[in-house]
Amino acid sequence: MTTTPVMTDEFALLEQRLRTVNKVMTTKAAIAQTPKELVWALNKAKLYRYIPVVPAEQRHRVPLLLVFALMNKPYILDLRPGHSFVEFMVNQGYDVFLLDWGVPGPEDKNLKFDDYTMEYMPRAIRKLKAITGTEEFSLLGWCIGAILTTIYAAVLPDDGLRNLLLLTAPLDFSDKQKLTFARWTDEKYFDVEKVLATFGNMPGEMIDYGAKALKPVENYIVNYLKLWDNLDNPQVVEAWHSMNTWVTDNIPLAGGAFRQLIVNLYRDDQLMKGELLIRGQRVDLSRLRANLLTVIATGDHITPPCQSEAILTKVGSGDKELFRVPGGHIGIMAGSGAHKLTWPHIDGWLGKRSN
Amino acid sequence: MSADQGGGSKPFDPFEPFRGMRDAYLDAMAKAMVEAVNTEGYAQATGAMLDSSLSVSAPMREAMEKSMLQVLQRLSLPSAQDFATLADRFTNLEMRIDDMDAKLDRIEKQTHAAPSTANDQPVTPPAQDIKAEAERPVIANAASAPKPSIKKASPRKRTSGKGAR
Repeated sequence: MTTTPVMTDEFALLEQRLRTVNKVMTTKAAIAQTPKELVWALNKAKLYRYIPVVPAEQRHRVPLLLVFALMNKPYILDLRPGHSFVEFMVNQGYDVFLLDWGVPGPEDKNLKFDDYTMEYMPRAIRKLKAITGTEEFSLLGWCIGAILTTIYAAVLPDDGLRNLLLLTAPLDFSDKQKLTFARWTDEKYFDVEKVLATFGNMPGEMIDYGAKALKPVENYIVNYLKLWDNLDNPQVVEAWHSMNTWVTDNIPLAGGAFRQLIVNLYRDDQLMKGELLIRGQRVDLSRLRANLLTVIATGDHITPPCQSEAILTKVGSGDKELFRVPGGHIGIMAGSGAHKLTWPHIDGWLGKRSN
Repeated sequence: MSADQGGGSKPFDPFEPFRGMRDAYLDAMAKAMVEAVNTEGYAQATGAMLDSSLSVSAPMREAMEKSMLQVLQRLSLPSAQDFATLADRFTNLEMRIDDMDAKLDRIEKQTHAAPSTANDQPVTPPAQDIKAEAERPVIANAASAPKPSIKKASPRKRTSGKGAR
């Protein structure tokens, strides 16, 4: 006669699990909680300053500006309390700023790397300097943000950039065999003009599909099974929820920038060859003289390590370092091990060069 | 995955072996799929699918855009293109305002910095010039005659004028 209560318990448990699944799949997690203030805006771009928690006299003198990719929301850098790179850096005494590119609308379809690096970034940096009262600053670029920061650092080397940190930076496109994206966007198969004529901007859903299709089983099956298997573990559920909130929050990539990414970089590898023109000026990487730290994720399938290694041989920086971290494209900064490995290394490297 | 959480007191789970089998199968499947998507065939197939879907939708989209434009024109309403042009102009304006804001910031900074610079380094001509200017209100507040202030101000004219030449 014990069968009925046991069955009832099982059903109650199942119901609870289904409720949890429904909640994490249909709601947004509380993300980007570190207190910040908006200090500058231009078109869709916004510059935030995180409220310092360390007294001014104990803070690092050189402020840090974070620049994330154009096709994802930047709050992956400030995912959730206790698991936030921004929170960590603010607690370590950095004056942290974040440049949020915003969501491009149809009217922004002509925005190019030229605009982002020569109009938006210099103005945001000018504001940062005015606020902090320092002429020097550090830049951290992640993914496409690393392309932008590299271009900026090479084109405007005398603008006060002291330290440049590149995370999973797709800069070298010479090894086409290792680049699945390069194969998919080869001109034989992919008509970039046709796509942009149809959509104006590259739709966020298509970018998301492209990123997920690189590892379809992991992204479309294993990811959800991982949640199902860990539904009784609130910590895993919370982490999964916040990451899912970020992953599903896709934004389009401005048409002009997408064209440059595919044609000038993926197909022609112009940045490494020294042929990339920004506002008519050749991007000469040897002019990049800032202290350089390149962080590579050894298991990165979006930006394979081969894309971030050659930069060290091209730049004119005297102080440069390559740091390899086991993990994936996002995991090295937002994964459970990031606070033990990647963040302390970045802090250690940057701290010595920020006073 | 779930096996890590229960520790030693975890009750017997009849599905555990199936989970192991499932994970092994998915691992193998994942490797096979990664290889599959990394082939020329996959690139060609997805490219062809995308191309055909864009080709099919293009005439419909163009017709829709044309008719929408006509309707908006008849109703004297702005089109999406008009809004895009406006947005462009707004952005240009924003940039100009931002530049002006930066210039004002710089001027403000210079005017604030001027008195302190003068106090720190009174030797150089520009500092003397600023110091003279800074002293003026003090004299005025002391309710003294305006003459001294004019006298003090006169070297400023000399230094700035001749120094420039």
